[in-house]
Amino acid sequence: MTRAKTWRTGGYVAGNYAFILPFLAFFLVFTAVPIVQAVVMSLHDWPILAKKHPFIGLGNFSKLMADEIWWQALRNTLWFAFLAAGSITVFSLFVSLQLHKPGRARSLYRFFFYVPVVLSVAAMGIVVGWAFNTQFGLVNALLTPLGIEPINWLGEKELVIPTLAMATLWWGFGGPMLIYLAGLQGIPKQVYEAAEIDGASRRQTTWKITLPLMTPSIFFVLVTQVIAHIQVFGQSYLITGGGPGRESYTSIYYLYQTAWRYYRMGYGAAIAVTLAAIILVITLAQFWWNRRQSPVEY
Amino acid sequence: MKKVLALLLAGCVTTLAVSAQADANKPIVIQAGNANAKTKLVFWNGLTGSDGVTLDGIVKKFTDANPDISVRVEKMVWATYFDKLLTSLVSGSGAPDVFLLHEFEIPQFASQGVLYETGEFFKPKGDLDKADYEPEYIKALLYDGKTYGVPLDRHGWGVIVNKDLFKKAGLDPSKAPKNAKEFIDLATKLTIDKNGKHPNEPGFDEKNVVQWGTFASWPKPNFLSVLWQFGGNWTDGKGKATLDTPEAHKALQFWVDLIYKYKVSPKPAGYDGWQSLANQKLAIIPEGCWIYNFLVDSKVPFGVWEYPQFGDKKAAVWTSGHVMYMPVNESGDNLKAAKKLITFLSQNTAAWATAGMPAANLKVRNALKFSEVPVAVTYGASFKRQGQFDVGHKAITEIIDKGYAPELDNALNGLKTVDQALKDANKAVQEILDRE
Repeated sequence: MTRAKTWRTGGYVAGNYAFILPFLAFFLVFTAVPIVQAVVMSLHDWPILAKKHPFIGLGNFSKLMADEIWWQALRNTLWFAFLAAGSITVFSLFVSLQLHKPGRARSLYRFFFYVPVVLSVAAMGIVVGWAFNTQFGLVNALLTPLGIEPINWLGEKELVIPTLAMATLWWGFGGPMLIYLAGLQGIPKQVYEAAEIDGASRRQTTWKITLPLMTPSIFFVLVTQVIAHIQVFGQSYLITGGGPGRESYTSIYYLYQTAWRYYRMGYGAAIAVTLAAIILVITLAQFWWNRRQSPVEY
Repeated sequence: MKKVLALLLAGCVTTLAVSAQADANKPIVIQAGNANAKTKLVFWNGLTGSDGVTLDGIVKKFTDANPDISVRVEKMVWATYFDKLLTSLVSGSGAPDVFLLHEFEIPQFASQGVLYETGEFFKPKGDLDKADYEPEYIKALLYDGKTYGVPLDRHGWGVIVNKDLFKKAGLDPSKAPKNAKEFIDLATKLTIDKNGKHPNEPGFDEKNVVQWGTFASWPKPNFLSVLWQFGGNWTDGKGKATLDTPEAHKALQFWVDLIYKYKVSPKPAGYDGWQSLANQKLAIIPEGCWIYNFLVDSKVPFGVWEYPQFGDKKAAVWTSGHVMYMPVNESGDNLKAAKKLITFLSQNTAAWATAGMPAANLKVRNALKFSEVPVAVTYGASFKRQGQFDVGHKAITEIIDKGYAPELDNALNGLKTVDQALKDANKAVQEILDRE
C-alpha cells in the first residue's frame, strides 16, 4: 500500500525547507550565532586585542550589578523609552484618527507626516541639534517673541531626556501612523453604520467602537516602540554626547563605549545580554497585561 | 494647495540636504597618484575637515615625487575610524598601510603588539633625526623602551579672542593676561547683560547675558592644563589615581568659579562656543589650534594668546600629537613605500600649519611665519615653552571618557559639587587602574 503524499512527507518537507534556506542561512550567520557568541563572551574577560580570554563565569554580571554608571544609564533609558514609546503610541493614534477622516489633502498630510521617518538618525541628530540649540536654535527663536526666555533644552538635567523624546516623537511617529491607518481601514463599515442608526455620537463611536477595535494595533505599536526605544543610542550619542554629566547617557551608549572605545568585549556583552533580558521581561509583561484584557468582538 | 505643495517640496529638499550632510559620516576617499602604480598604499585618518584636505595636498606632492607609488587616502570621522581600525588590526587583514593615532594611545595599541616599531626610521638607521623633535615628544613615543610612530604635528590648547569685542570695551586684544586674576578681570569687563552691566556691578542680570567674557570649553584640556600648573596630575604614575587632591580641587574650582562665582562664563552644556565667538557674543575662548580654519571661514577678527598661567607651580598647557603608524605585519614593497611616505610627511608639514597645526618637526615649525599662520606659530611657541603631554596608559580612553571627563562635566554644569565630582572621578579612575 502506497503512503499518500502529505505536507509531512519527506519530499514536501525538504522542499519547504529549501524555500526558507536563504533566510535561515542569514538568520543563523547574522543573528543566531552572534547571540550565542554574545552570551559566551559575557562569561569571559575579553579585551578585544588580547590573545587570551579567560573564562570568569558570572563575573561580568556581578560587576555590572554593582556598577553605578550602568544603573544611571538604565534609569535614563527607561525614562526615555517610557516618554518616547508612550508619546508616539498616543500621538500617532491621534494623528491617524484625524487622517482617516475624508478630506481632500489627507494623502498629502500622510506623506508630509511620514517624511521624517526616512531621515537617518545622523540626519535627525543634525536637525534636532540645531533646532534645540539654546542660542541659535529654531525652537527658542519661535518662543522668544512670545516672551519666553531661551530654554537650555539639551543642557538641563530635567529637560534633556524629555527633549530627546520629543525629537524622537517628531522623527518616529510616521511609522506607527501607517500601522494605525491600516488598522482603521480594517474596521468594517457596517459597525459604524449600525452605531449611526443607534444614534451614537462621534465621540461615542471613537471611544466605544474605534479604539476597542484598534486594540491589537495599539498593542503592537506599544510593544515594538518600547523594544525600539529601550535600544536608544543615536539620539544620545549624536545630540548630547550623554550629557550634561551622564544625564542622557543610555544603556546602549554604555555598551558601545565599553565594547568599542574601551575594548572590553566581555563586559560589553554582559551589558547586551542583561539589556536583552530586561527587554524580554518588559515585553512578556506587556503580553501578560494584554491577555488579561477582555477581547473586543462585535 | 499650492502652498501645501511648496511646503512639501521645501520639506523634501531640506530632508535630502540634511541627509546629504549626514552622509559626511561615510569615508571620504582620495586617490593620490596613479591607481595602477606598482605599489599601492592605503592611508587612513580621521581628518574629515579642511585640515584633511590640506594633508591630501601633501600626500599628492609625495605621489608626484614618487610615481611608482599610489596612495588611497580614506578619511572618516574619528569614532568610525577607531571602530574600523580596531577591527582591521584584530582580524589581521584589511588594515591600512599607514594610519594616524594620538601619542597617548600608544600604550593601548602597542601593549597588544599591533603596531610596527619605528626606531629604524630615526638615525642612524633612518633619515629622521630625533634632535628635530622636542625631547618630551620622543619620550611620549616610547612603550617598553621601544619607539612607536613618527610624529606629524604637535597640536593642543591655547586661547582665541574676538578682537572686535575687545576694541568695543576699550581693551587691547594683543595683551594677554599674566595670571588668573588678570584673566578674571578681563572676562568681567567683557561680560555684559542686556542692560549693559558687568558681573561686578549691582543689578547684573545673570539670566540675560548678551555677551560672555569667556567660556569653560572642553573640560579635559582646560582641567589638565590648570591641574599641571598647580603641580598635580590625574595619576602618580605608579597605579594610584590622584584626582581627589588639593591641586585637583584648585584646578576644577577655578573653572567652576568662572561660571558660578565670577559669572563670566555660561554653563557649558548647550552652549556653542565657536558660533558665539563668530557671532560677537563671546570674547575669549580657550580652544584647540584646530579652530583655525573655522576662524578664517567665519571671517571673525581674532587674536591668539598662549595659554595663560592660572596655577602657581609651573607653566603648563595640554598638548597632543597626530602620530603616523603602520600595522605590525606590514612587509615587502608596501613596507618600503609606507616608510617613504611617513618620512616624507614628517618632513613636509609646513603646509599642515595652514590647518592650524604646528609641525612636530622643529626645523619646519621654526620656519613658520606669524603673518601666514598665526595660530600655528603662537601655539607652537607655547607648546615648546610649556607644552605637556598627557600620561599614556593602556586604558587611557576609558580613564578619560568613563573615569573623569563626565565628572568634570557634572561639576561645571552644577550637577555635583567640585568635592563630590572629584571624589567620584578618583574612585572611577582608581578602579580602572586597579583592574589594569
